[in-house]
Amino acid sequence: MAAEHEALAIPGEEARRLAAWIADYRPIPGVPDELIGPDGAPRPHWTTLLETLAGLGQEGVEQRFAAAARRINDMGVTYRVHGETRERPWPLSRLPLVLNETEWSQIAAGVAQRAELLDQILQDVYGEGRLVAEGALPAAAVAGSPEFIRPMRGVKPVGGRWLRFYAVDIGRGPDGKWWVLGDRAQAPSGAGYAIENRLILARAFPSLYRDMKVRRLAGFFRDFRAALMSAATRSDPRICLMTPGPFSETYSEQVYLARYLGFLLVEGGDLATSEGKLHVRTVAGLKRADVLWRRVDADWLDPLEANAASRLGVPGLFDAIRQGAVAMANMPGAGLVESRALMSFLPALAQRLLGETLRLPNVATWWCGQDAERGEILRDFDNRAFAGAFGDQAEGLEGRPAIGAELDEAQRARLVRAMHTRGMDYVGQEVVKLSTTPAWDGGALTPRPFSLRIFAAATPGGWVVMPGGFCRVSGRRDARAVSMGAGAQSVDVWVIADTAVENATLLPTKNDVPVVRVPGNLPSRAADNLFWMGRYLERAEATLRVVRCLCNRMTETQSNALQGRQPIERCERLLFAWGAAAPTAATHSSATIALDAASNADIYGSARAIAAQAKGAASIVRERLSQDMWQLLVRLETRLDHGAGCATLPEPEILEIVDRALHTLAALSGLMDENFNRVSGWAFIDLGKRIERAINTCRFARQFADDDPTMETLDALLELVDTQITYRARYLAGPALAPALDMAMLDPFNPRSVAFQARRIDEHLAALPALADDGMMESQRRLAVSLRADLEAEDARRLDTGRMLFFEQRLMALANAVSERYFSYASDPAPADKRSKLA
Amino acid sequence: MIYDISHVTTYSYEASVGATRCAIRLTPRDCARQRVLSSRIDASPTPESARSSIDFFGNHIVETTIREPHARLRIALYARVEVDRVEPPAPCLTPAWESVSRAAAGSRTLARESPVHWLFPSRQAPLYAPATHYARESFPPGRPVLEGAEELMRRIQRDFAYDPHATHVATPLAEAFDARGGVCQDFAHIMIAGLRGLALPAAYVSGYIRTIPARGQPRLEGADASHAWVAVWCGEPFGWIHLDPTNAMYADENHIVVALGRDYADVSPIDGVIVGAGRQALDVSVDIRAVGDL
Repeated sequence: MAAEHEALAIPGEEARRLAAWIADYRPIPGVPDELIGPDGAPRPHWTTLLETLAGLGQEGVEQRFAAAARRINDMGVTYRVHGETRERPWPLSRLPLVLNETEWSQIAAGVAQRAELLDQILQDVYGEGRLVAEGALPAAAVAGSPEFIRPMRGVKPVGGRWLRFYAVDIGRGPDGKWWVLGDRAQAPSGAGYAIENRLILARAFPSLYRDMKVRRLAGFFRDFRAALMSAATRSDPRICLMTPGPFSETYSEQVYLARYLGFLLVEGGDLATSEGKLHVRTVAGLKRADVLWRRVDADWLDPLEANAASRLGVPGLFDAIRQGAVAMANMPGAGLVESRALMSFLPALAQRLLGETLRLPNVATWWCGQDAERGEILRDFDNRAFAGAFGDQAEGLEGRPAIGAELDEAQRARLVRAMHTRGMDYVGQEVVKLSTTPAWDGGALTPRPFSLRIFAAATPGGWVVMPGGFCRVSGRRDARAVSMGAGAQSVDVWVIADTAVENATLLPTKNDVPVVRVPGNLPSRAADNLFWMGRYLERAEATLRVVRCLCNRMTETQSNALQGRQPIERCERLLFAWGAAAPTAATHSSATIALDAASNADIYGSARAIAAQAKGAASIVRERLSQDMWQLLVRLETRLDHGAGCATLPEPEILEIVDRALHTLAALSGLMDENFNRVSGWAFIDLGKRIERAINTCRFARQFADDDPTMETLDALLELVDTQITYRARYLAGPALAPALDMAMLDPFNPRSVAFQARRIDEHLAALPALADDGMMESQRRLAVSLRADLEAEDARRLDTGRMLFFEQRLMALANAVSERYFSYASDPAPADKRSKLA
Repeated sequence: MIYDISHVTTYSYEASVGATRCAIRLTPRDCARQRVLSSRIDASPTPESARSSIDFFGNHIVETTIREPHARLRIALYARVEVDRVEPPAPCLTPAWESVSRAAAGSRTLARESPVHWLFPSRQAPLYAPATHYARESFPPGRPVLEGAEELMRRIQRDFAYDPHATHVATPLAEAFDARGGVCQDFAHIMIAGLRGLALPAAYVSGYIRTIPARGQPRLEGADASHAWVAVWCGEPFGWIHLDPTNAMYADENHIVVALGRDYADVSPIDGVIVGAGRQALDVSVDIRAVGDL
């Protein structure tokens, strides 16, 4: 563990460096800054941090920052820009945003108050409707929001809360006080990134983090989890985090949160409703889902009652919610309170509902659906910002807020006319300028505009606020809004405690937690992807083994002697048959074929392409895999990429690539065997691996021990099934057909033989849950039992290619039966065709 | 006038499908001008469950689950409905359109009846500046709202070509507007978008229109069709007036209402999710028979 303070070698130089950093740091005039207070001096709570950094020296700081960058890569923290398929590494600014306790407690109290207020507004709007009836809130300011989800009107949420997880973006106003820029109530993102930011920075500056008494985040998540547990109607509830899927912009965060909180990560297709209840499709059949923390927008939740085109939702979910069968965080329709129109009413509504003034004011807002407000706004046109009341789209605005003074005559005329016709679609606001916080840029501190997102969770004891947040700084010096992308970075938020911080982790405090050994049932989709991950990894290995065998033969065969060519041709034939080398490559040299089969990502059956598929399957179940395993999957690709782009390489170099990739595969195997809990998840990886290996071994045997084998081809077979050494120990003579076939197909002691796989497959299937407890064997088990028995009773001298093909076909049938029994979830639900005859 | 309606939808699948979840909005609703005397929905294969409810806008929905594997799904509605002939108010007596707009926006309720639900853009009837601009010509300042709406309806019938091949169920409004053509659904959406662009509440009405065979021609069974038109809120006490831009007429006793929504997406007759791959074919047959007709 590194200690930052040891580096404080030359105090004089440290002080000079610090002074220079501060002197070069120039806040934007008129814009409040986090580092430099209104008096022009650095705020005291930043001192420790900056002194420590100065003590590390310029180089030391860069080193720490570089280590943090590596860790981001290793952890696989990514995000996706909308519309892009590839994930980008997470851009984390190396400096935290530092807040002191006094300031923090004001923010936290304001956020808790606001969350409570918004929840009460939602209760009323979807319930009794008194605010509207009594004129405190115009009906049009509610009905105009696309997030006013009408099917939810009159619904009583389980646990009584419309809002359970709330976020708010805040910044410092011109007077230096914090104010609210926007509310997030639909499905706020960022909390998971906040924990990841914390882990990265805390590791880069461990003792600094400890000494500065930075408040921990874990307690907040513990409270949130406990609150969700208590929201459910059953004890020991199943809590699901519902994701839009791997193409969501923040999928990596959702995976992280599910893993961190121990929730089941589900897509819409994993869920089903029946008789008004919500279920998860698992390998043991349908199991109740009690709580849904959703990251899917309301409109996409239920194709029967909301957007019929949605493939992300669950048909019947709204009805299950209506029946009180599932607690939601947040309820569909909670997004209503995000609209700007509502902001203008909040000060009055706080008085009315809570009898309090808003502790955190929002940006002053006027809803233009009222003649008086609109008139007032238009009179002061130049000094106002104009924005959509219910979203960013409105006639006369280019999909984003506009400042009056910045519009030309034509734009201004168009906007004013539109506001006269449909004023209800607009708000006027005070012009917001984001305040700034220091960022590290090119070895110096520079002020950058930021927005700070704070999170709050509803608990039985009231709202709790995460002591920290998700902060984004702009890549530019002057900005009105910050979204990720376009050079923006995220920033960890350090709330400095006045007293010692609690050492909270997610561990329960009491020692009365019941011991559970098989944690819940595996969702069918997860099982499917684990199974295929197992199959792909094994397939990649088999392909690489053939490539290695081919390269070895090429090295040994100097002459073009027929016996020497035979194994080479057969290896190539296998690679063509598997799609690992393009058929046009038949005219190419063996080395080219070998290199293609290993490294050419454009050929669908190459080891490189299969490794990508394994990683693809793994990415869907990433919350179930350890960090180590993910890193190895990434490394497998990198290792194979060493040969990419070369037309050909000498055999020894290809061999080196293949060997290194095989070592990574061996490490993955070892990790799975030693570190993966032996519950159904592991069983499906292993099932996939065993089925794939058995099929491939049958193919090896048919290719190299057909009706016309030679010593050389049999030797190649023994190499492929890794038994050359054993064979030589058992038989003194060179390879002969029956003994070689026995080793590859039937030997129960050889972990690569088909019989060995059949036994393991049967054991797995026996241990997996059955759908009915009528004592009858399910069909996949039936196939496995008879296959295993037949292989155990088989005589190697009877084995010909016909019988080997028969075993291979039975294995394929078994794979189909496994997939039908365990993976039949709504993988491909199609919306019904909607053509009707119209006059 | 009393009608017997049968509306039969048949899906045929290339490959057998495992399960179907449907929301069926075929049952006609009661409203001021019509009463549903009887109605039933038949489905085959027989659903494992069927639950009927009333949606936010007051339409009937039947939610069904079919689990039995099937290659063909048939959903049939049979209903008997009585429709009154209602005389529309004299347009010149209705309030100025601006005051109707203000009254709607000033509504103090979010209940089903509130005109406020019909003021805002919706999935298939978004605001579209050219459509607003087109509508505005019929609404000079101070004009009675129904005068403007009636003129707008007639202009749409005149300016837009009836062309069943120009559009399909999912054609965006802007495309149909720019092409100046489409079917009843497009005309209704265009008129709605124009009215909402002026902040006037407008609804999409799905239903049927009785077709009367030409003299001497036999009545063809199953040749009738679903229809769609527009309801415009004209302020109290006039309420909702139904206008049919496809035929440039007020809805009369030949118009049978099934459902009211913000646009087609709210009232789509059958929404559903089918578990299974493969292609599907759809056949719809509608028969409207006035009781007493042959």
